Amino acid sequence: MSVISSLVPARFLTIIAHLVIVITIFWTREYNVKACLPLEFTQEQYNSEDLKLVVALSVTLGLFAIELAGFFSGVSMFNGSQGLLSTGAHASGSVALVFFLFEQWDCAVYWWILAFCSALPALMEILLLIAVFGLSKKPL
Amino acid sequence: TAIFGKKLSSTPLQVLLYLNCWYFAAFFLANILMFIYKGLLLPYPTSNLILDVALLVLFLGLEILRIFYGWKGNLCEHAVTMAVSLFLLLPCITLSAYFLFLQSMVLRLEFLLGLVLLGFYSLQFLLSILALSAFARSKVY
Repeated sequence: MSVISSLVPARFLTIIAHLVIVITIFWTREYNVKACLPLEFTQEQYNSEDLKLVVALSVTLGLFAIELAGFFSGVSMFNGSQGLLSTGAHASGSVALVFFLFEQWDCAVYWWILAFCSALPALMEILLLIAVFGLSKKPL
Repeated sequence: TAIFGKKLSSTPLQVLLYLNCWYFAAFFLANILMFIYKGLLLPYPTSNLILDVALLVLFLGLEILRIFYGWKGNLCEHAVTMAVSLFLLLPCITLSAYFLFLQSMVLRLEFLLGLVLLGFYSLQFLLSILALSAFARSKVY
């Protein structure tokens, strides 16, 4: 029980850390957009890449909403497997995005980080939500 | 004690208080590190830095008291203890607003962490009022 009771706050704090960094990237995305453009670029090219990055970040926020909904509704709060997957994925996502932010990585890299660190736990969350509300399984 | 064994404690409030314990520990640690960063690398006035660190320590004390009274008031279904927790929420909100808007320099990270904390406070405020009214309305034998 002590392991589970440590996993719940660890999961919450890693989700918040990942969320905070995603919002910070929203705030300072100009440098990352320029990193994937040639030295000479038109405003149209910039707007196109900027739109892609904004879409990616917005999708990430949507996935966060799904995961926090599952967490706070109690569906997966005490599920050890989902807790572990979520903590690992979001901790990795936080570290990767800090590099993304400080090293000004190419913005195409963001989609890979999104796929493994946000989409994967959110997908498992959706499956758990379906299992609990749709199939009447017990949350644990 | 409640009549007929009916449970009046608020589970959502308890969840928020529990997570708030951990979140505030992380918040405090992050703020200490950010003050070290600002003190060493940015032209932060020394007197302001000392004041801000002192306020942060005061904030820690108030927060510990508030969470303890909220926790105890909710689990024991005690209206007065819950009311104390609500009153302590006001200086905590004031201090978190100070750290959000009135510091000499506010980092973006600091701003976001402060917003999350204010989110915690607003939810706890609502849930505490609901819990307090439930406790006050109950009759004891």
